[in-house]
Amino acid sequence: MTQLTIAIAKGRLQAETLDLLSLAGLGLSSETVSSRRLAVEDESGRYRLIFVKPADVPVYVEHGIADCGIVGRDVLLESEPDLLQPLSLNIGACRIVVAATQNSPPSQVGILRVATKYPRIAARYFGSRGVAIELIQLSGSVELASVLGLADCIVDLVETGNTLRENGLKIIEVIAQSTARLVVNRASYQLKVDAVGQLVQSFEQIMEVSVE
Amino acid sequence: MSETLSRIPAGMRYYSGSEARFRRATENVMISIFDGWSYEEITTPTIDYYSLFEHGMGHAQAHHAFRLSDTDGRMLAVRPDVTSLVARAAATLFAERERPLRLCYVAPIFRQQPQSHAEWKRESMHIGGELIGANSDAADMEILIIICEVLERLNLDRALITLNDVEVFNGIAEQLQLRADARDEMRELVDTRNASDLERFLASYTSAADAKGLAHLIRLSGKRNILTEARRLITNPRSGLALDRLERLWSVIETLQLPNRFEIDLGDVSRLDYYTGLTFKIYVSGAGTRVGGGGRYDGLTASFGKSEPAVGFVFELDTLTEVLRQRSDGSGLIDQATSAKKLTGHGMHDLFAAARNSRAAGERIVIGPRDEVQ
Repeated sequence: MTQLTIAIAKGRLQAETLDLLSLAGLGLSSETVSSRRLAVEDESGRYRLIFVKPADVPVYVEHGIADCGIVGRDVLLESEPDLLQPLSLNIGACRIVVAATQNSPPSQVGILRVATKYPRIAARYFGSRGVAIELIQLSGSVELASVLGLADCIVDLVETGNTLRENGLKIIEVIAQSTARLVVNRASYQLKVDAVGQLVQSFEQIMEVSVE
Repeated sequence: MSETLSRIPAGMRYYSGSEARFRRATENVMISIFDGWSYEEITTPTIDYYSLFEHGMGHAQAHHAFRLSDTDGRMLAVRPDVTSLVARAAATLFAERERPLRLCYVAPIFRQQPQSHAEWKRESMHIGGELIGANSDAADMEILIIICEVLERLNLDRALITLNDVEVFNGIAEQLQLRADARDEMRELVDTRNASDLERFLASYTSAADAKGLAHLIRLSGKRNILTEARRLITNPRSGLALDRLERLWSVIETLQLPNRFEIDLGDVSRLDYYTGLTFKIYVSGAGTRVGGGGRYDGLTASFGKSEPAVGFVFELDTLTEVLRQRSDGSGLIDQATSAKKLTGHGMHDLFAAARNSRAAGERIVIGPRDEVQ
C-alpha cells in the first residue's frame, strides 16, 4: 500500500485544512488532531500528516520528504518553489496588498521604503512598475512599520482588514488574491500516481459540491 | 584551521567511502552498457566560450553558468552542460564521419543554483548519450531502451520513464493563436499542472467543455488511454503528428512488454525552447527529484553550422547513487571494502619486495603504520 505524506501549514490555514481532509475521507479523530505530535497517521494508515510552518511546506515537498502539501498561494509566490500545483482549494482566501497610513504623504520622488514579510513579492511588484524601493524585511507586526514611520508603506497579507483598520492603515493596491493550494512533488506525482490522483479527485468533488 | 580555509563553498562537496565506491560502480555499469550499444566515449573541454552554451542551452539556462573572462576579454563559462559541447564536436570535428554518430560522456557540470531549492548542488556528475544524425522512431526507441537497460542493471524496479512530445503543446498553442506571452503563461500552467487556472485561461480561447477536457488531460499521466483521450480532444494536425509518433513508440513498448516502465505525460513541457520532439524524464522511487531525462533536439546542431537531427539523454549520477546507497542490500552493485593483507616490518627493502609480490599475485594489501616499519 502506498502511503502519502502530506505537509500541513500550521496556524492560519490549519483548522480549515484538517476539515477539508476529513471531508476528503481521511480518518482523523479529534484526539489525533489536537495532539501536539508533529507527525500523525490517519486511521487507515494511507496518509501521514506532518505539521510545519507555512514557509516550510514547499521545502518539505520539494525535497520529496512530503509528497504533497497544502499551503497558501502567498507562500508559493514568495518562495517560487519547483512544484506542481494541480488544484486551487477554496479555503484560506485572503489578499496580498500594499497598505499605508491614512495620512501618509503621496509617494515622493526618490526611493520608496517598503516594510514586508514578503521581500520577493514586494520587489517583483514594484520592479514591474519601475519604482525603486528600499526593502525592510520584518518577521511580524508589519503594520507598525508604517504607523511609526519605519517605512512609507507595507506589503502584507490581509484576511478581513481589521488589523489594518484598527491601526489606521488603508489598502492602496491589491497585488494578488491568495487561496490555499494543493502542491505536489514532481517525482511523487509520477511514482505515486494512483494515490495522488485519488486525493486530487476527492478534493475536486468536495469543491464542486461547495460551488453548487 | 581558519574559517576561510576549512569552509566549503555552497553547493560543493566531497565524496568518500561507500559513496565514492557507489559512484564509481554506477559509472562503470553505465559505461559498459554504452559500450554494449556501440557508443563511443568523448571527453569535452571543461571551460569553453559562454556564447557556445548560450546558443546551445538558451539564455535562461546558460545564465546559471559560472563565468570568467579570457585574456582577450571574451567571456568563458565553466561547462554548465555537456550536450552543447558534443553537438559542436559533431558539427565540426566529426563533420565528415559517417552518420549516425553514437557518443557518450561522463563529466561534472557546474551551475549556480538558488540555495533554497532542492537541487542545491552546484557541481553534479552527468552521464549521458547522444545519437546524432538519425531522425527516426528507431533512434528515439534506441535511447529509451538503453535507459531501460540502465535501470534494470542497477536493479531499480520502482522506476518510471515519462514520455511526451513538445509538438503536442506547440500544436495547441498554434491552433489557439497564442501570442508569445500568453504561450509562456500557458506553458507555465501546464508545467505546474495548475488545472484550475489552466481551465480558466483556456476558456477565453475555446469552448468551456474543451477547456475542461484539456485541463483534465494535461493533469493526468497514464498509458495508452492518454493517447486515446488526447485524440478525442486535440484535433489540430501538428499535435496529431506528435500523437502518432508517441503511439508508434508505445506499440513497440507494448511488444517488448515494458509498459510498466513508461507513462505518457502530456504535461511535461519544461524545456520547450530546446526540445523539438520526444521528451522524457526518469523518476526513481526514493529520490525526491528526477534522476535524468532527455529528448530530441533537432534544432541544436544548426547553431554550429551543420543542421541535423539528434536525440539524447542524461542521468544525474549523484541523485541516482544516493538512491542505490540508501538501499541496504547494495544491490550487488559493489563489493564491500574487502579486507586487505597488512604488510609490516622487515625494513623497507623487504617490505616493498613483499608488496610487489603480493600485488603481482592480485592481492589487496595495506602497508602498515610507520612505527611498525623499521
